[in-house]
Amino acid sequence: MRRLMTTGAVAVAGAAVLTGCVAEVPAPVTSAPPMTEAAALLEPQSTQIIDETLAELAAADRAGDADLLSARVGGDAKTLREIEYTLAEAEDGAEPVAIPSTMQAVYVSGADIWPRTLVSVTEQASEDVTPVVLLWVQDSIDAEYQLRGWAHMIPGATLPAMPGTSSGAAQLEMTTDTLDPTPEAVLTDYAELLRQGEGSDLAASFGADSYRERLFAARETLTEAAEDSDGEYRDAVSADLVGSYVMGTADGGALVFTPLTITSSFTVEDATVSIPDEDEPLLEGELDDTVTHEYLDMIVMYLPGPDVDALPAVVAAEHTLINVSDS
Amino acid sequence: MSLRTTALVAGVIGVLLLAAGLIAESQRPPRDVTASASVDTAVVVYEAEMIAFAGDSRIGVSGDGVIVAVTARPVDAEAWLAEHSAARVSGLPSWESLSTEALDPVAPSTSPSPSPSTSASASPEPEEEPSPSASPSAGAEEAAAADAVDILAATSQDHWRADWRGEGRLSIKASDVPPGETLVIVSEDGSPLTDTDLALTRDVDDGWITPLIWWGAFLTAVGVVALVLRFIDLRPAQARGEEWMAKRQRAGDDEADRSPGTRRSRRAKGEHLPDASLEDEPPSPTAPSPTAPADDHPGEERP
Repeated sequence: MRRLMTTGAVAVAGAAVLTGCVAEVPAPVTSAPPMTEAAALLEPQSTQIIDETLAELAAADRAGDADLLSARVGGDAKTLREIEYTLAEAEDGAEPVAIPSTMQAVYVSGADIWPRTLVSVTEQASEDVTPVVLLWVQDSIDAEYQLRGWAHMIPGATLPAMPGTSSGAAQLEMTTDTLDPTPEAVLTDYAELLRQGEGSDLAASFGADSYRERLFAARETLTEAAEDSDGEYRDAVSADLVGSYVMGTADGGALVFTPLTITSSFTVEDATVSIPDEDEPLLEGELDDTVTHEYLDMIVMYLPGPDVDALPAVVAAEHTLINVSDS
Repeated sequence: MSLRTTALVAGVIGVLLLAAGLIAESQRPPRDVTASASVDTAVVVYEAEMIAFAGDSRIGVSGDGVIVAVTARPVDAEAWLAEHSAARVSGLPSWESLSTEALDPVAPSTSPSPSPSTSASASPEPEEEPSPSASPSAGAEEAAAADAVDILAATSQDHWRADWRGEGRLSIKASDVPPGETLVIVSEDGSPLTDTDLALTRDVDDGWITPLIWWGAFLTAVGVVALVLRFIDLRPAQARGEEWMAKRQRAGDDEADRSPGTRRSRRAKGEHLPDASLEDEPPSPTAPSPTAPADDHPGEERP
C-alpha cells in the first residue's frame, strides 16, 4: 500500500512538473500595428497604373481607335480622346494632346471609401506647353483606376504641397464642412463668374487665371461679331458638381477637379455662319444662320487652407471642343 | 538524527529527484511546433493582428496548383473579401492548432463572368439542324474552365501591394508582411486550399531538468554510501585510530625531555637565544624576550 502511494505521488509530481515545462499559448494581439504607409497606393502601384494607362493610350493613339481605351482610360478622357482621333483623321488635323510619360509629382488618396483619386503632374513636354495634370478615379474595389481627365497647368500657377504616401490625401466631399466655404460653394461661384463675365463682383473672390480670361475674350469677340451681323451670341456654363473630386492638400485646403460643359450659340441674321476647317469633322448637320459649339472642359481649382493667405484659383484647365451643331 | 540517518534520507530524496529528472528528460517537449488548421476555401486570410501575433514565425498554406499571397490595406482587403468566401485565421487556441472562421460574401460578386460573351447579332438564316443541347462532356469541360478563373485577375489588382507565389505550398515569414497590412492567400485557379499552418518556436522551461538529474544522482550516491556503511562495523578501526593518535601524542611529550639541547628545550628552560643580525645593517629593534609563565606549562620543570 505504501509503495503504491509512493509511486502515485511520484507520478503526480512528475506530471505536475512536466505540465509546467511548456509556456502558455501567447495572448492574442488585439490591435493591429499602424501601417508605415497608409495611402491607398504606394509608389510601385501608382507607377504601374500610370504606365499601363500610358501604354493603353499609346496603343489607341497608334490605331486611332478609342475602343482600345477600355481598362485604364474612361469617362471624359475617353470621350475627349475619341474627339481628338476624329479631328486627327481629317486632312491636316490636329494630333491628339500629347501626354508626357515622365511625371514630376504623383498625389495619392488616403481614403478608405470609394471613389478614390490618383493625380499626377507630368514633366513639361516643351517650352510651348505647360505640364499636364492627370486625374485617375477608382469607383470601387473591383474597378481599375481609370484616367478620367487631364488639364494643362495655367502658366505661372503652382500646385500646392500634397500629403505623401505615409497618409495619402484626404478624399473630401464637395459639401465637406472642413472647408469654409465648401468646394461646392466655391465652384458654384466660379461657374457664376464665368457666366457673368469679368465685370462680376465674384472676380474679386478668385485669383487670376488665363482660362477665364480666354473665355471672356472669346465671348467678347463672338458677341461683337454677332452684333455686327445683327445676330446674337449666347453661352451657358454648367459645372458638373456631382462628377467633381476633391483631394485635401497638406495645408488643409483642397484641390477640386470639376468638369465643365460650355455651350455657345452664335446666330446671324440673313447670312450663313461658317466654322474653321479644323472643326468641320465635329459638325453635325448643315450650317445656316446658327452654329452651336459644345465644349467639355476640366478645371483644377486650388482652395487654400485656412492659414494660407491666398484666393481660390484655377491652377489647371482644359478647354476642348467636342461637338458642333447647326442648331 | 545521526549523520548516517540524514544521509539515508538524502539518498531517498535523491532517488526521487533522479527519477523525476529522467522522466522529464524523456518527455521534454519540443521547442519548435507547427499549429495547423484545415481549410476548404480558395482564400485564406491572415489579418494584421494575426500577422503581428505570428511575429517571426512562418505562415504556410498548402493546396493544389499555384498559390498566390498578396497584401493590402485592411480596408481594401475587407472590401475585396466582402465578395469572396474565405477562411480567416483567427487565433492560436493551442500550440498544435489554429482557429479559423468562415467569411461569407456579403455582396454579390461583381467580377466579370468568365464565360465568353454572346453575339448580339442574329444569324440571317436559321441553322437547318440546330443542336438541342451540348454534349455532357463538353458541358463539364466548359464548367471546369469557367470555374478555373483567376480569382485575383477577375477584378482590379490595384490595391494589392506585396505578393508571393508558390506551387502546391507557399510559406511566408510573417515579419516580411508589412506591419498593419492584411495577408490574403488565394488559390490562383479557384480550387480550395487544403490547410494552413503556423510554425512557432515556443519557450520551454526545461533548464531545471539537467541540474535535477545531477543533484538526484549526487544525493543518491550519498544515500548509497550511507547504506553501505550501515552494514560495515567501523568501531575496531576507529579504536585503532584513536589509539594511534594517543600514542603519537605521548611520543611528542617524551621527545622534549630526551633532547635537552634542542631549541625547544632551551626555550622551555628560559635561556636567551641570540638574535641573528646582518652586517652593515642598523641593528633592528630588539623585541622583548618572551617569557613563558610557569603555569602555561604545568607539566614542565622550571629552570
